[in-house]
Amino acid sequence: MRRRNTIGLAAFSGITALVLAACGGSSGSPSPGPSSAGFNAAISSTVNPSTHKGGTITFNLTTWQDSMDPGGTYYASNWNFTRYYATPLMTYPSCQGSCGLHLVPALATAPGTPSSNNTVWTYHIKSGMKFSDGQPITSADVKYAVMRTFAKEVLPGGPVYFQNLLAGNAASYKGPYKDKGKDLTSVTTPNSTTVVFHLNKPFADFNYVAAIPQTAPVPKNKDTGASYQLNPVSSGPYKVQSATLNKTFVLVPNPNWNPAMDPAVHQYASKIILNINPNANDIDNRLIAGDIQMDAAGTGVQSAARAKIVTNPTLKASSDDPVTGFMWFIYQDTQVPPLTNVHCRMAIEYAANKTTLQDAYGGPYQGSIATTAMPPNVIGYKHFDLYNAGSHPGGDTAAAKQQLSLCGKPNGFSIGMAYRSDRPRDTSAAQALQAALAPVGIKVSLHGFPSGTYFTNFAGVPKYMTTHGIGLATGGWGPDWPDAYGWGWALFDGKAIVPAGNTNIGALNDPVVNNLFLKLEAATSASAQATISGQIDMQLMKDAVIVPAVYAKALLYRSSALTNIMVQPYYGMYNYGTLGTK
Amino acid sequence: MGTFIVRRLIASVFLLIVVAAITFAIFFLLPRLAGQTTYNLATQYVGRNPTRSAVLQIEQQLGLNKPLYVQYGHFLKGIVAGEHYSAGPNTVYCPPPCFGYSFKSQLPVWPQMASDIPVTLSLAIGASVIWLVSGVSIGVLSALKRGSVFDRAAMGVALAGVSLPVFFTGLILLELFVYKWNLLPAPTFVPFTQNPWKWAENLILPWITLAFLYAALYARLTRAGMLETMNEDYIRTARAKGLPERTVITKHGLRAALTPLVTIFGMDLGLLLGGAIITEFTFGLHGLGLFTIEAIQNQDLPEILGVTLLAAFFIVIANMVVDILYAYIDPRVRP
Amino acid sequence: MVGGESPRQGDGAGGRFARRRARHRSSMELEAHATRERTGEAEPSGMLDIRDLRIHFPTDDGLVKAVDGLSFTLDRGRTLGIVGESGSGKSVTSLGILGLYNTGNAQMSGKIYLDGEDIVAASQARVRELRGNKMAMIFQDPLSSMHPYYTVGDQIAEAYLIHNKVGKKAARAHAVDLLKRVGIPQAASRVDDYPHQFSGGMRQRAMIAMALSCDPELLIADEPTTALDVTVQAQILDLILDLQQEYDSAVIMITHDLGVVAELADDILVMYAGRMAEYGSSEDIFTRPGHPYTWGLLGSMPRLDEVRQERLLSIRGTPPSLINVPAGCPFHPRCDYAARTNGRSENEVPGLRPVGPGHLVACHLSTDEQRRIWAERAKVAS
Repeated sequence: MRRRNTIGLAAFSGITALVLAACGGSSGSPSPGPSSAGFNAAISSTVNPSTHKGGTITFNLTTWQDSMDPGGTYYASNWNFTRYYATPLMTYPSCQGSCGLHLVPALATAPGTPSSNNTVWTYHIKSGMKFSDGQPITSADVKYAVMRTFAKEVLPGGPVYFQNLLAGNAASYKGPYKDKGKDLTSVTTPNSTTVVFHLNKPFADFNYVAAIPQTAPVPKNKDTGASYQLNPVSSGPYKVQSATLNKTFVLVPNPNWNPAMDPAVHQYASKIILNINPNANDIDNRLIAGDIQMDAAGTGVQSAARAKIVTNPTLKASSDDPVTGFMWFIYQDTQVPPLTNVHCRMAIEYAANKTTLQDAYGGPYQGSIATTAMPPNVIGYKHFDLYNAGSHPGGDTAAAKQQLSLCGKPNGFSIGMAYRSDRPRDTSAAQALQAALAPVGIKVSLHGFPSGTYFTNFAGVPKYMTTHGIGLATGGWGPDWPDAYGWGWALFDGKAIVPAGNTNIGALNDPVVNNLFLKLEAATSASAQATISGQIDMQLMKDAVIVPAVYAKALLYRSSALTNIMVQPYYGMYNYGTLGTK
Repeated sequence: MGTFIVRRLIASVFLLIVVAAITFAIFFLLPRLAGQTTYNLATQYVGRNPTRSAVLQIEQQLGLNKPLYVQYGHFLKGIVAGEHYSAGPNTVYCPPPCFGYSFKSQLPVWPQMASDIPVTLSLAIGASVIWLVSGVSIGVLSALKRGSVFDRAAMGVALAGVSLPVFFTGLILLELFVYKWNLLPAPTFVPFTQNPWKWAENLILPWITLAFLYAALYARLTRAGMLETMNEDYIRTARAKGLPERTVITKHGLRAALTPLVTIFGMDLGLLLGGAIITEFTFGLHGLGLFTIEAIQNQDLPEILGVTLLAAFFIVIANMVVDILYAYIDPRVRP
Repeated sequence: MVGGESPRQGDGAGGRFARRRARHRSSMELEAHATRERTGEAEPSGMLDIRDLRIHFPTDDGLVKAVDGLSFTLDRGRTLGIVGESGSGKSVTSLGILGLYNTGNAQMSGKIYLDGEDIVAASQARVRELRGNKMAMIFQDPLSSMHPYYTVGDQIAEAYLIHNKVGKKAARAHAVDLLKRVGIPQAASRVDDYPHQFSGGMRQRAMIAMALSCDPELLIADEPTTALDVTVQAQILDLILDLQQEYDSAVIMITHDLGVVAELADDILVMYAGRMAEYGSSEDIFTRPGHPYTWGLLGSMPRLDEVRQERLLSIRGTPPSLINVPAGCPFHPRCDYAARTNGRSENEVPGLRPVGPGHLVACHLSTDEQRRIWAERAKVAS
C-alpha cells in the first residue's frame, strides 16, 4: 500500500513540477523590436512614424460593446474605432497635448457657424465625397443619420444630445422607422452640401455634439436598422468586409475613400480585424506575444500583465501610461441622511484615505490621486485641494472629527455604500473607504450589486438609495467631450436626475451649480468657458458631492508591429485612425 | 424500437416546452420577487444614458410590458410558425424555428447560435474522441495490470486530471506551448471546411485540456468496471472455452464494462455540446459556452432561451441515444 | 503424499460409440516419456491421470493450500464424483485441471496427464488449445456463467469457431444441433435467444451444449444442479449421463450433494481440506465407507430408504482454514474417533491406505475398527 501511494504521488508531483516550471519561467515573450522608443514615448510623440502601406492589424476586445453602429454607441473606444468607417462632421485631431482636445473639421469644411445666440448651427460639408458603395455623400445623408438616432427602439445605445437639444418636432419625433415619411423639422438641408441644426436653447458646445459619430452620414436607401451595424455603408478609409455579431468585425480599404475627407485618419493597413475574446488576460498574453496588435478597449492591461510589464525593463520601454480622461470617485447621495448635511459629507472627504483608494483602483499605474471633481484633460481644469489630500494622503482624522461635530454626529454614524460587486476595483475601493472611515466612527455597510443593473436598478434609482439608507456609491465617468459641460452635466446638474438609470447619483440639485451650467451653455469665448468650468469644479467640491479617488490612467502595451502610434488625449488611448504596420 | 423512438421524441418536445416555461419564469418572476419592474429591466438594454422615453420605447419594442403568458405564447409561436420582426425600415420574416431576436442587438438569435455551434461541436467531439480512447485504454490496461507500476502511475495521473481545474490546466498548456515555446499558435477557430489542419492545430490545446479532465474520470471508471467485470463468472467460462485472452478481455470483458460508460459518455457529451464554458473562455474560442455567458451578462432573454433550449435539446437527444444504445448493447434491457 | 499408491482403474471399456483418436505426440511429450523411462515412473493411463497435484495460493495472510496432494485416474466413459464441503478444494481442482490458474500467482506442482500429455508442464498456448476442446467444463450458475449480451447460439458457436476451421454458418448449424441434442425445443429459433430468456433448466441445458460444442473427451461438471429445482435436477443429470454414453467422455462430477453422486458416479473421491480423505467405487463408499468424514456426510444425509431418524447427525465443528490446516490428520479436531488413535491423529498425517480392492482411506484407524464403527453407526441409524 505504501508503494502504491508513492508511485501515484510521483506521477502527481511530476505534473506539479511542470506547473511550477511554467510559472517560474521568464515571460519568454518575443523581443519588442530593435529600437523601443521608451516608456510613455507615445504620450508626447508619435512612435514609429511611417507611411508604409499593407499588413493586417488585429484588434481584440472582451465584449461586443453596445453597438458597432456609429449611430448607437457610447464607448470612447468605439468612437475611436468607428473613425475607420464613419466620418462625423467634426473630429478630434491626431495630435497630442492640449492640441488633441480642440476639434477640427472632418466631413465639414469648417467648424459650424452659430447664429448670434448659439441656437442655429450651420455646417457645410466637403463636396465630391463618396460612400464606399459609390453613392455621393450629401447633407441629406447627415440629416438622415441624425434622424435615425431618434429610433431608440432600435438604436438605444447612443447619446441623446439630439433629442435633448433639437427644436422643431424633435420632442415628438419617433425616428424614421416608426414615423415613416415624417420629417425632422429641426434639421434642414438648404442644399446638398449644407446642413442646419435648429436648437431649442443656446448651446455653445454644439461643435462637440457634431463630433459624435452620430453625425457620420448614412444613406437612407441602405439603412437596415438593427442589422446596419453588421454592414454599414462606409464614409471612412475602410469598409466592412464581413461581420459576425459578438465575434468578428473585418475591415478592408474603402476604394472610394478621399483622404481630403478627414486628414486625421489614414488608409495604411490592408486589413483590420476586430475579434471578440472575453478572456482579458488572454488578450494581454496575445498582445505581448505579438499574436495581436491592439487591445481595442484602450483601458489598459490587466493586473497580471501589468506586473509583468512594470518589472521588465524591455517590456516597460514598450508601454505608455496616459491619463485616460476617466475618473474614479465615490458619490455621496445628498438625499440620504445624514449626508443631507454637507458637513457630514465633508467629514467623509477629510477621512478618506487617498492612498488606499489609489491602491484599490490599481495603484499608481492605474491612476493618480484626485482632488477635484474634474479630471485634468478637461478644458479649464485647475488643480486645487480642499480636503488636505496632499498633506494627509492617508486621511485627516482631526478635520474629519471636527466636521462630524458640525453636522451633529460627533461619534460618527452608520451609512450604506453601494458598489459593483463584479468589479474587483470597485470592491477594493469600497472596502478601502469602509476601513478609512471606521476610525472616525463612520460605520459603512457594504452593498454589492452586479454592474449590469447597478445604474438601472440600484445605485441609479434614487428611491432605492433613500429607502435602503445607501448614501455612498462607487462610480466612474468619462466626459462626452472635454469641457465641464461634457464632463459634469449628467453627473451634477439637477435636471439630470431620473428615477432609473440615474447618473446624478449624488442627487445634487444645487441652484449654484445649475446656474453655472446654464451660463456655461451660453458662454461663447474659450476663456469664459474655462473660467466657468473652474467655478463649477470648485462649487462641486465645496458641496462635497463626490469623494474623488483617482484620475484614471491606463497602462497600454505598444505592439512593435505597428506604426504611427500616438496617445490621443481626448480618447485617452492610442489613436486608431493613424495606425499602420511595419 | 420505432415506437420507442417516437414516444421519446414526443416526450422530449413536452420537456423542451417545460424548459422554456421555466426559463421564462426564472427570468421574469425571480427579479419581480426582488422588486424589479420591467421598466428597470428595459433600462438594461438602453445603454449608458437611458432617458425615460427611450426606456419606454425599448420596453414596448421588446414586448416586455406584455403579460408573461403572452410573451411565452409569442415565443412558442415563433418557434412553430416563425416571426415577423421590425427593427429598422423593413419588416423581416424569421422562418420557423425562430428563436426570437436578441434584446440587446435586436438581431436574430439563431444565426448567432448557429455560428457558435461548430466551435462547440468541434471542441466537444474532438475532446470526447481523445478522452474516450485514452481514458478507456488506460483504464483497461490499469485493470489488467492491477497493482503494477503502470497502474499506480496511471491512477496518480488520473487523480491529477480529476483534481486540476480546466482553467488551470488550460493556462499551463497555453503558457508552455504557445507563449513560451512557440510551438502552437494562440488558438482561434478555423472552420474544418476551411483548413482541416489549422482547425486541428488551433484546437489541440483545448482538446487536451478538456480531455485530460474527462480521460481521468473515464480511466478510473473503466478500471473499476473492468475489475468488476473480469471477476464475473462468464469471464471464467470464456476462458474455460479456450478463447484467446485478448478475445476474453475485449469481447467478453470490455463490452460488459462499457455499458455504464456509454450512459455517462452520453450525458457528458450532451452537456458539453451545450457549451464548454470554462474551456472556451480560457482559450478565447467563441462557442455556445461564451454565448451563454454573454447572454446572461446582458440579461438577454431571447438569447438565454435560445441557448437553454438548444442545450436542453442536446441533452435530451443524448439521453435518448444513450437509452437506445444501452438497449442495443444489453439485451436484458430491451422492451 | 506420504506413502500409498495412486488408485488405478482397469481399462475403461468404451460406451456404444467408443472413439479412439490417434494423436500426434509433440517433442515435449516424447522427451517427458524418455524421462519417465529413466526414472522408472509409470506411464500415464486413462484419459486423466493426476499425480500429486498441489495448488497453493500465496496471500497476504499466508499460503492457502487449496489442493494439497491429489492423485487419481479417470478413464473414458467413466464418471468420477468429487465430494466435499465448501472449501475442500473441489472447484480449485477442476479449474486447475483446465489450466485456469496458470496466469495467476498460483503455485501448481504435480502432474496432470490428459490423454498422456502433461498439461502442467505444457505451454499456455497448448493448454488453451485443449480448453473447451478436449476438456470442457459445465459451471454451477448458468445465468451468471453465460455472457448476458450475446445470444446462446453465439456463445455455443464461439468455442467451436475457435477450435475448428469452420465458417460462421457451419458453426451456427452446429449450435442448433447441440441445442436439439440437449433437449431444447424449437432449437432453430431459440439459438438466437439470450440467456435471460431461458428458464433455469433450459439455461443449464444450453450451458451443457456449450461445453459439448467441441466433443470434449473430458467433461467436468461443477455442481451443475445446485442452482436448479429438484425436478429439473433429475432431468439434467439424466442428460449428462446420456451424453456421456453417447460421446464416451470421462466425466468429473463435483458436488456436495451425495444424492447426485449416487445417481451418476462410478467412483467417488471424498476431499477434505484440500486432501483426499477417501476414494473408492460408488458401492464402496455407500455400503462400506471407511473415513469418519464420509460417515459424517452419509449420516447427515436424509435417506428415503431407511427409517426416519430422530435427527440428522451433523458433523460438529467448521471447515478448517486452508492456511492453517490442522497438524496431523486435518479432520482430527472434528472427529469423534480421534481419541482412538493414541495421539497419532494429532501428529501424523495419515496416508492413503487400501482397505479393499480399489478402495483407499486416509485414516489412522485400522480397517477393522473402521468396519466395526460403521456397523455400529448403521445399526443406530436403522
